[in-house]
Amino acid sequence: MPRVAIVGGGLAGFVAYLTLRRGGVEDVTVFSTEADPAAAWRRRAAAIRQTHMRSESDGHCLPTSFPGLAVREARRRRSLTPLAASVCNRYHPTVESFVGHVEEQRAASGWQPVLERIERVRAVDGGFELDSHGTFEHVLLATGPPGPVLPEELRSDNRAVHAYEPHEYAESVCVLGAGLAAATEWRNALAAGSRVISVRRREPVRRPLNVPREYLTRRRLSGFHRLGREERARLLKELLAPSFPPGSEWDEPLASDRFTVESRVNGADQVICATGFLHGFRHDPLLARLVAVHDLATANGWIELSPDSTVPALTDESRTLAVAGVAAQWAYPAADTLMGARYAAHGFLRRCRTR
Amino acid sequence: MSYTLRGRLESRLAALVLPLVVACALAGGLRTWWPIELAGLMGAVGVALDLVYHRPIRYQPGWAALPLGVLELGVLMALVRVLQLHAPLAAALGFFAAAWLWAQALGHALLPFWRLSWSEDGGELGRAGVAVAAAFVLLFAGSGAVWWHGLPPTVHLAAGIHRGPIFIDRRERLVGDGAAVVLGGIVVRHSDVTISHVRVIGGDNGIVVDGAQRVVLDHVSVSRASGDGIHVRHASVTIRHCDIDMLGSQYGQGIDISYGMLQGDSVVERCTVVGGQDGIVAHGSMAMIMHNHVERTTMTAISMTEMSMGMVGHNTVRNALGIGILCGDRSICEIERNAVAGTRRDDATGNKMRAGFGLEVEFGAEAELSRNDLAANPRSMGVFLNSIVRWR
Repeated sequence: MPRVAIVGGGLAGFVAYLTLRRGGVEDVTVFSTEADPAAAWRRRAAAIRQTHMRSESDGHCLPTSFPGLAVREARRRRSLTPLAASVCNRYHPTVESFVGHVEEQRAASGWQPVLERIERVRAVDGGFELDSHGTFEHVLLATGPPGPVLPEELRSDNRAVHAYEPHEYAESVCVLGAGLAAATEWRNALAAGSRVISVRRREPVRRPLNVPREYLTRRRLSGFHRLGREERARLLKELLAPSFPPGSEWDEPLASDRFTVESRVNGADQVICATGFLHGFRHDPLLARLVAVHDLATANGWIELSPDSTVPALTDESRTLAVAGVAAQWAYPAADTLMGARYAAHGFLRRCRTR
Repeated sequence: MSYTLRGRLESRLAALVLPLVVACALAGGLRTWWPIELAGLMGAVGVALDLVYHRPIRYQPGWAALPLGVLELGVLMALVRVLQLHAPLAAALGFFAAAWLWAQALGHALLPFWRLSWSEDGGELGRAGVAVAAAFVLLFAGSGAVWWHGLPPTVHLAAGIHRGPIFIDRRERLVGDGAAVVLGGIVVRHSDVTISHVRVIGGDNGIVVDGAQRVVLDHVSVSRASGDGIHVRHASVTIRHCDIDMLGSQYGQGIDISYGMLQGDSVVERCTVVGGQDGIVAHGSMAMIMHNHVERTTMTAISMTEMSMGMVGHNTVRNALGIGILCGDRSICEIERNAVAGTRRDDATGNKMRAGFGLEVEFGAEAELSRNDLAANPRSMGVFLNSIVRWR
């Protein structure tokens, strides 16, 4: 039985763990700094006062897309309404429901990570050495977003707070960004009675999910994978442009005369940076070291991965190094979502089972 | 779901395997081919539409299965009609509905649960997809082989004159090559017989079908028979594209289908009958008499009588003596879109019910009428002796 390790115990690591268990891989060691796989995500959701998930019924941690959260809720409520809503793409689980699902799975799966941060992954014969924990033949790196983006000019501005940090709303609030976090902050601040100034570099894209749905399946992924490095980097940048869902629940609050769009940060009492996370391996010490030591191929800040999210230079017949989460967007543009976590986990499971 | 083309096709075929197995079982149990033909047609329609859907439908939400299902059902039923599949309507609809529900359960729950990466693979099933396609092809090919093996032997009648009468006492396809002529008639005494492209001259009756089922007469012509042109007793037949010349016959009928109520439906369509007492007549039978041309008869052009049931539609009748179309003697008839003209009064008989009626319903018969053109007759319509007429 090969030794398998997951570095990172967030949602992507948790999805991979459940997938490996379902696939019959028993000897899985998870390294994490927190026991709760939803801890980091929960803090961020609480910070922006998120009530519903952007994802749909299949935005869950199980290895298969069915049964989804709509089925879970239908069973719990003894109602077909969630299923009907799901069929019409109108079902978005509540944060509470999602967290409850994670708790259930965590309790049922025997999830017990080693509470330690892995600093170094070193390729050795037949596997990878993880700090002093010995050699593992198959390793999945699910280290999560490296940190929030805070514009340089606002670092010393004490009015500034990142959207994913706990905060209240001042009388006038300037929100930087144009993605889901920004849109949520516009609504929150308006509901709190604030005057809201939206500052953004471009008009937000309106779409239901993070990326167009065709890029969630092989339909468009095959073409994406065939693109050359420059073209793929360009398309990835386009696909990852800030977006939030269409719908009156988002549009109606913005019709308020307390909401304006301006081109620069002005004299607002508070500046909320809904500017997302740092992208690219350079901001993640573990990945940066890995790239430097093994001279891995990169493009525009991405580690160049194979379509199944593995690192080609460090994956062969006897071992696998794969990446999940935001750092795996080179292989799967929506890698930072739960579907993306599942995609990487499926690829990783195939490697663990067949090698 | 954003299907790939291969994913669409493989998921489609996976959903069709069970209905095809059920269809095979049904066909075996009922000793009829329509379940397999229907399942095959469903597969063909589904695959063809998948090829059409692929480009325009980049992403297919769950609810779209409903309108797409209705579209598929519409195309399927149109093809069933065009190809003249003998599937009972309720059974065909039930079969389609069950297969559709199974496909939904498979696509929304079972396949995503069974195959980890079904969603991200765009519905592709990997090696299982090839197996599914092979299973579908094997099942269908197997059914086709059984059907082929069960086909009756074909006997070719060479061009030229053959002395009759010819008796057919086994399952057989009798096919005339070019100008094959039989003198003295043909007698069919076995079920599952097909006669096509044969010309019959003379005989007591031109073609006799006696006590047989599923007999098909296709592209046959009869002339100079001393009795009936086509004489059917206790049998069910399908007569298509026939040409019956009864001119000069005093008592014969063009096509006479009698006492076939227990043998099932008979069909007469796209035939031309000239002369004879009755042009086309059904006695105590279930019959569909459609798209025929009948003229110069001496009793009735088209007649459903003696407790017959059926439909008379889209026929043209010209120059009949006495009565154009008759629904009589407690028969139940649907009569629609017929054009009857030039019916002549039969005053010689002194019977007022033969006063040149385009359409007549008599003696306790019930007729449902729709869009018949009866104007160019001495009397357009007559209803006699406790009969009932309804208009749609």
